[in-house]
Amino acid sequence: MSGPRDGYSEVRLLDPFEIHVGPAFSAGEKGARRYAFRAEPRHCNMRGVVHGGMLMTLADMTLGQAVWDATDNAACVTLNMQTQFLKPAMAGEWIEVAPELTRRTRGMVFMRGDFTVGGELVMTVQSVWKLLGQD
Amino acid sequence: MSHAAMRLPDGAEDISSGGFNLFAGPFYRLPDAGETRRFAFIALPKHMNASGTVHGGLLMTFADIAMSRTSRLSTGARSCSTVSLSCDFAGPGRQGDLIEIAVTVTKKTRTLVFLSGQLTTGERAVMTATGLWRIVQ
Repeated sequence: MSGPRDGYSEVRLLDPFEIHVGPAFSAGEKGARRYAFRAEPRHCNMRGVVHGGMLMTLADMTLGQAVWDATDNAACVTLNMQTQFLKPAMAGEWIEVAPELTRRTRGMVFMRGDFTVGGELVMTVQSVWKLLGQD
Repeated sequence: MSHAAMRLPDGAEDISSGGFNLFAGPFYRLPDAGETRRFAFIALPKHMNASGTVHGGLLMTFADIAMSRTSRLSTGARSCSTVSLSCDFAGPGRQGDLIEIAVTVTKKTRTLVFLSGQLTTGERAVMTATGLWRIVQ
């Protein structure tokens, strides 16, 4: 298995580290997008398990895309991210997430995401984002 | 010797042997400071985000690698897996910065290791990480 599934198109990544680990894919309309990622051997450890660092990078990338959608591309930074690793993801697998906006205040955005492979949870993430220039 | 290697502290050992660790790295282990395990990397162009600071995903990758290795070193386990990790981003890292993590073990049980890590560059805080590792074998 390789490449994106039907209905998904490549996300335009801007950050050098995201371009380095990418590509990532998305489907759906602004504010209700799904994101997905095809794990390759370069994303894995020697046993073919996707590295936790790669999964957290995917989470920061995709929840960040959703923050941009929710704020008309406001400049923002991650303040905190909490990750629970529920089940290993393996090389070749298609990892999906539909980020959810938990709450938005004037200066902060609270996001969460359940990451799944074939409908089974592999990771849950909550992150807090600060909108720059807002107190 | 690369430019990066020349700026590393004495005794730095490359721990990026393959897989994502090498693809995202290189990362280095530094000599222990008592019970504290120390690791470092130099922020390269590939580690950055578009606004010119080190990407949060790379910082969390570095913490995960350093804390996983500490969980193995402190227990003698061959393999440990990350159960949970919480990271607070305190300040930016910049390209060329030497970013270090000091990892301490909070508690060990028969099957679990509780860890915390402080990321700094120079005297400045970059990220705090706390997490839980399961001893696999």
